[in-house]
Amino acid sequence: MTWAAILIAALVAASLVPSRSAFAQRRWVVAFANATEQPGVTLEGTGFTGAEVHGSFDLAVRQYPIDLVFYDNQRDDMRAVANAEAAIARKVDLYIQYHRGAAANATVAQKLKAAGIPVLAVNYPVPGAPLYSVDNTAAGRLAGEALAEFAARSWAGQPMVAVVIGRVSDAADRVPERVQSVTETLRKRLPAARLTTLDTQGNPAQVATLLGGFLVGQPSRKILIAATDDATALAAKAAVEAAGRLRDSAIVSHGVDRSIHGGANDRKEIDPSNRASIVIGSVAFYLDRVGYEVLPLAQRMLRGEPVPALTATPHKLVTAANVFIEYPPYDMN
Amino acid sequence: MIRKALVASAVLLLVLSIGSVASAQSDCSKIVPASPWGPNDQTGATNRVTAAVTKAAAAEIQTGKVTTMSYPLVDGVPLFGSRFTKTILTATSLAPGGSYGENELTYMEDTWLSQSHVGTHLDGMGHIGRKDCYYNQIAMGKFINQNNMTKLGLEHLKSFATRGVLIDAVKVFQAANKFKGNSACKKPCLEKGTVITAADLQAGLRMYNVTLREGDIVMIHTGWGDLFEQFPAQNALYNSGAPGIGKDAANWLVSQKVVAVGTDTWVVEVIPGENPKEAFMVHNILLTDNGIHIIENVRTDLMAAEAASTKRATFFVNMTVPKGVGMTGNFVGIDGIQ
Repeated sequence: MTWAAILIAALVAASLVPSRSAFAQRRWVVAFANATEQPGVTLEGTGFTGAEVHGSFDLAVRQYPIDLVFYDNQRDDMRAVANAEAAIARKVDLYIQYHRGAAANATVAQKLKAAGIPVLAVNYPVPGAPLYSVDNTAAGRLAGEALAEFAARSWAGQPMVAVVIGRVSDAADRVPERVQSVTETLRKRLPAARLTTLDTQGNPAQVATLLGGFLVGQPSRKILIAATDDATALAAKAAVEAAGRLRDSAIVSHGVDRSIHGGANDRKEIDPSNRASIVIGSVAFYLDRVGYEVLPLAQRMLRGEPVPALTATPHKLVTAANVFIEYPPYDMN
Repeated sequence: MIRKALVASAVLLLVLSIGSVASAQSDCSKIVPASPWGPNDQTGATNRVTAAVTKAAAAEIQTGKVTTMSYPLVDGVPLFGSRFTKTILTATSLAPGGSYGENELTYMEDTWLSQSHVGTHLDGMGHIGRKDCYYNQIAMGKFINQNNMTKLGLEHLKSFATRGVLIDAVKVFQAANKFKGNSACKKPCLEKGTVITAADLQAGLRMYNVTLREGDIVMIHTGWGDLFEQFPAQNALYNSGAPGIGKDAANWLVSQKVVAVGTDTWVVEVIPGENPKEAFMVHNILLTDNGIHIIENVRTDLMAAEAASTKRATFFVNMTVPKGVGMTGNFVGIDGIQ
């Protein structure tokens, strides 16, 4: 083969590979099938709703040459499959699936594979698809460590009891993984502390009764409280206050939804001006930022670049010291 | 020998303690760029408004038509965060027997309790920083007291007598078929969160065949100010976000050496911002890093209409900023004269 032939072959090969500018100019159509858009229905055992997940995609997509098409899986297997079929008919370039039904996800995977449409899964696996997901074990560990560190710093040598409270048995939202991780961490770090779980079954109104009753039986112990979500944490604080035990208690939560860090002028529990709060922090789940995490993966897939089989939410303990860094206030009402 | 060792230890401790105090302050040379106008510069971009720039801008006055570009300042307009205004009229001499002398002179005056960044207002160099570092690498922690700043105040600003250029972002987005509005606006407005890019600004300039010049003031019409005009009914929506320029547009405006950027929003930049973990990044780019003023709550709709009817989007800016000593900003009145 002569040098001229090599050069021609190289030019032909180069012409077959889309250039970077060609990628930059192309607009993709990406479908996002949300778990649910129903108002008030919370996700992943946190205070976040589907509207916040949807909103994060709306905002994140501004940086990408992507046109989003939204579907609502309505937490329903048949709807989830129908949505995938609609997206296939629409010839989308990529499908992002957020649905907890394993059987439906398998069907969706099969149909999209047959149509040649790549899939990216959010929070629940879809066969053959890379997964972006919250990591309940990591989140629970962060919460447990935060409580243990606070106890070691503030109450060393004093009798303590630890309570995990909230929707502790909500297996559908994988909250038990969170609970187990908190529990294991506390057992490891504070072997002398007693451990209890109180199940509100997702009803924060139950916190006052359950925790109030528990506190009566612990008159001389310091109380470490791991709440499974922010609403439970706020209710736990109220219960502790009602029992006159604010000085004996510390709470760490999960989620960092708006109820606990709020807008610029809201009454906020986690806030730089409220550093003395017994709610010492909440582990961020960033469901209001899923779009910002998932769309970069989607773009890499669309470009034919490899993505990891699993990408976990970068959970972080948010406290009064870093809440303005993690959630800079911009809503100035 | 022991005495010498004790003295040496004391000196060492003193040096270490001074060092630790000094390290509490940021090294601003690593955080904020230096001013192109030298280490003593406290003026910023109005250095660009030279006599030649003002003279050239005066050529924009062709018909003498004056278009207001500021909203009336009145209690009840949307205010950012916890800001407030309260006006109180003193009219005691109007009471029977309250007039003075045989000519029965009466008088009235106002007490106006207000923060400076309200209504149509200009952000000065001391408004926004990174950590304790402000424009021209000034470590502001050393230059503030309980009343004001002792550096970077409005008294250091030069003239704003320069050319104004209106960019109608509403028209740009409509022409590009990407307009997404908000139904609460009575006239077309870009939806909050809409990012205006450098390409959008350039498209807006092409619409009126304008090329930016060093020393220009750029006013961007987003339509969002329509909600300001509906005060107090739409205050919450107005404050909940805004369409505005993104970082790439801000950097492009920096490259054009403009003096100020204004919009009919409370913030000039897009809110929610492009990166949820960054706070008001365009403010940092324009004010902190480049000394370019931000003008908020500019009334742009009248000039946008004027530009549409006359096919001219340039004008002479008639705006005087009070020389508020040590102030971080102030409300302004703006007229555009064509």
